Amino acid sequence: MVTTVKDVKTGAEALTTDKELTAPAVKPVTLPSENPVVYPLTLPEPAARTQTPAVGQRASRPDGRLHGLGQTKYIDDLTFPHMIHAKILRSAHPHARIISVDTSEAEAMPGVFATLTGKEIPVNSFGPTLQDQPVLAGDIVRHRGDGVAAVAAVTEQIAADALEKIKVEYEPLPAVFDPVEALKDEIKVHAPNSNIYASKVIRKGDVDKALAESDHVFHREFRTQFVEHVPLEPHSSVAMWDGNGRVTIYSSLGRITLGREDLSRTLRIPQNRVRLIGTIVGGNFGGKNEITNEPILALLSKKTGRPVKCTYTRGDEFVSSTIRHPFIMDYTTGVNNEGKILARKIRLVLDGGAYCSWTGTTIGKGSILAPGPYNIDNLLVEAYAVYTNKTTTGAMRGFGAPQVCFAYESQMDDIAVALGIDPLEIRLRNAFSENSFSPTSQVLQSVAIKESLLQASDRFGWKE
Amino acid sequence: MLVKLKVNGELRQADVPPETTLLKMLREDLGLTGAKLGCDVGDCGTCTVIVDGDSLNSCLMLAAKANGREITTIEGLATSADLHPLQKSFEELGALQCGFCGPGMLMSAKNLLDKNPEPSVHEIKDALSGNLCRCTGYTKIIEAIQDAGRELSGAAAGN
Ligand code: FES
Ligand code: FES
Repeated sequence: MVTTVKDVKTGAEALTTDKELTAPAVKPVTLPSENPVVYPLTLPEPAARTQTPAVGQRASRPDGRLHGLGQTKYIDDLTFPHMIHAKILRSAHPHARIISVDTSEAEAMPGVFATLTGKEIPVNSFGPTLQDQPVLAGDIVRHRGDGVAAVAAVTEQIAADALEKIKVEYEPLPAVFDPVEALKDEIKVHAPNSNIYASKVIRKGDVDKALAESDHVFHREFRTQFVEHVPLEPHSSVAMWDGNGRVTIYSSLGRITLGREDLSRTLRIPQNRVRLIGTIVGGNFGGKNEITNEPILALLSKKTGRPVKCTYTRGDEFVSSTIRHPFIMDYTTGVNNEGKILARKIRLVLDGGAYCSWTGTTIGKGSILAPGPYNIDNLLVEAYAVYTNKTTTGAMRGFGAPQVCFAYESQMDDIAVALGIDPLEIRLRNAFSENSFSPTSQVLQSVAIKESLLQASDRFGWKE
Repeated sequence: MLVKLKVNGELRQADVPPETTLLKMLREDLGLTGAKLGCDVGDCGTCTVIVDGDSLNSCLMLAAKANGREITTIEGLATSADLHPLQKSFEELGALQCGFCGPGMLMSAKNLLDKNPEPSVHEIKDALSGNLCRCTGYTKIIEAIQDAGRELSGAAAGN
């Protein structure tokens, strides 16, 4: 990385002379818990500044030049000799049994090289937490984004035309879309299994007793929506199966080691026969953390002996790539007259969509962070992730943290308004400080939340 | 069908199926992959090029319609001697993150500065309204365009 250092000497000197520095030279601001905050503040020079001379210096991106020249090669910019193009047919129903898939007419079209269905995938399941997702649907489609068959043809246009010639016979099944309905297990997305496929409980103190003893109890339900990552670069991959039985795949995937595992599993070949090359990614945001079309392209390449590329259309992106979990969040919070939180009871329902994807991480992080950055002695968090016949939800920036943040901060505002306490003050009264315990009793260090709140509110003139 | 056009000062031609867009022709037939395909429906601006002095979405223009016209793509922005001031300021200010929106952003910005070397923030926002950056570094993009604009008008004034 090119670092434009204004004054290199200062930086280098700091590095050598301040080596011994172990504690901040200036004491952090002490916070009055009762008294109102006094403005303006004298703020400490952060120790990190003196220990790390790079902090505060300007750096330019090593790839910035090529980006500006339009010379960065993303996957869709790559071509290989004799390369052909694949397209994937998506399900016509949110939930249905597949009776038959007939690809013969598509295959007979001039320009079409090969087709592929779920039955031809050696091990038709993958997933980072649970391997519950097919590469192409087997007997059941569980949401509209499920791939049913794929075509490889000489041009994208011919492949797209060929998709229309594939005949799929479905027996539609009842579908469930509301996660609260799905909790009842009346319609099962992965029958005979329950729709609840992940759960987490965090317990601390005696929440019911503390709620009963609170001066005020606040209750409210919060909901968040689906969010698609919309990376400007759609998912794209090129696969080449060579004569020695090895496969080389260029992919916009962000996690290539995990991807290689999934490829080895789904293709049933050892990992040393899979060469997965990730190049620059045109926006990921969590949506390019697992394989999508790579095994399909690998198998189409094996069938045709040609490099096969597939770049998702924006439509494919929306229906078949993962999105952010919508949360239904039920918050009950007991406080005393001073606005100190005594107890908090939380129930989270995560809309998991059709497959698990990164729900394991999302439910974990979401539950641990759900009470907020506040000292609360009595706590109960219950979280459930449920399958629905909708687009699969997975990783997206923060893994559940933004959803719960919306809920707990909204409720902090409710409490502040009801008790007539300044919204900043109520947060300062409850916020973590050095050596606070997290909801799962982890001891927290380097806690700067109060200082951050004070600095920020001071800078944007909260009191004015 | 045979399409002939002038791209970045060079005469180029290709035989393409009638449904081919200008974007596809540039990327697949002429090997100019700078302009990107982000949506193919005119929503994102990653495919922006300049056609006869106007920036437009090349995914929405049929190659046949570009026949005989003059096209500038991101590949035509720098000279062999130097970067365009926009490319310099975008690089220096870190205005591009994943970079995917960059080629389109820069072409819209060039088109703006060609017509108005000292645009206001409002005018910049207006000119970029068809260019999405999902990495959302708009602040730096706007600063970079202003920077380049100052350099260009300074050069024009002879100082
Ligand atoms: S690809 Fe042309 S506007 Fe998105
Ligand atoms: S830099 Fe990633 S979309 Fe703009």
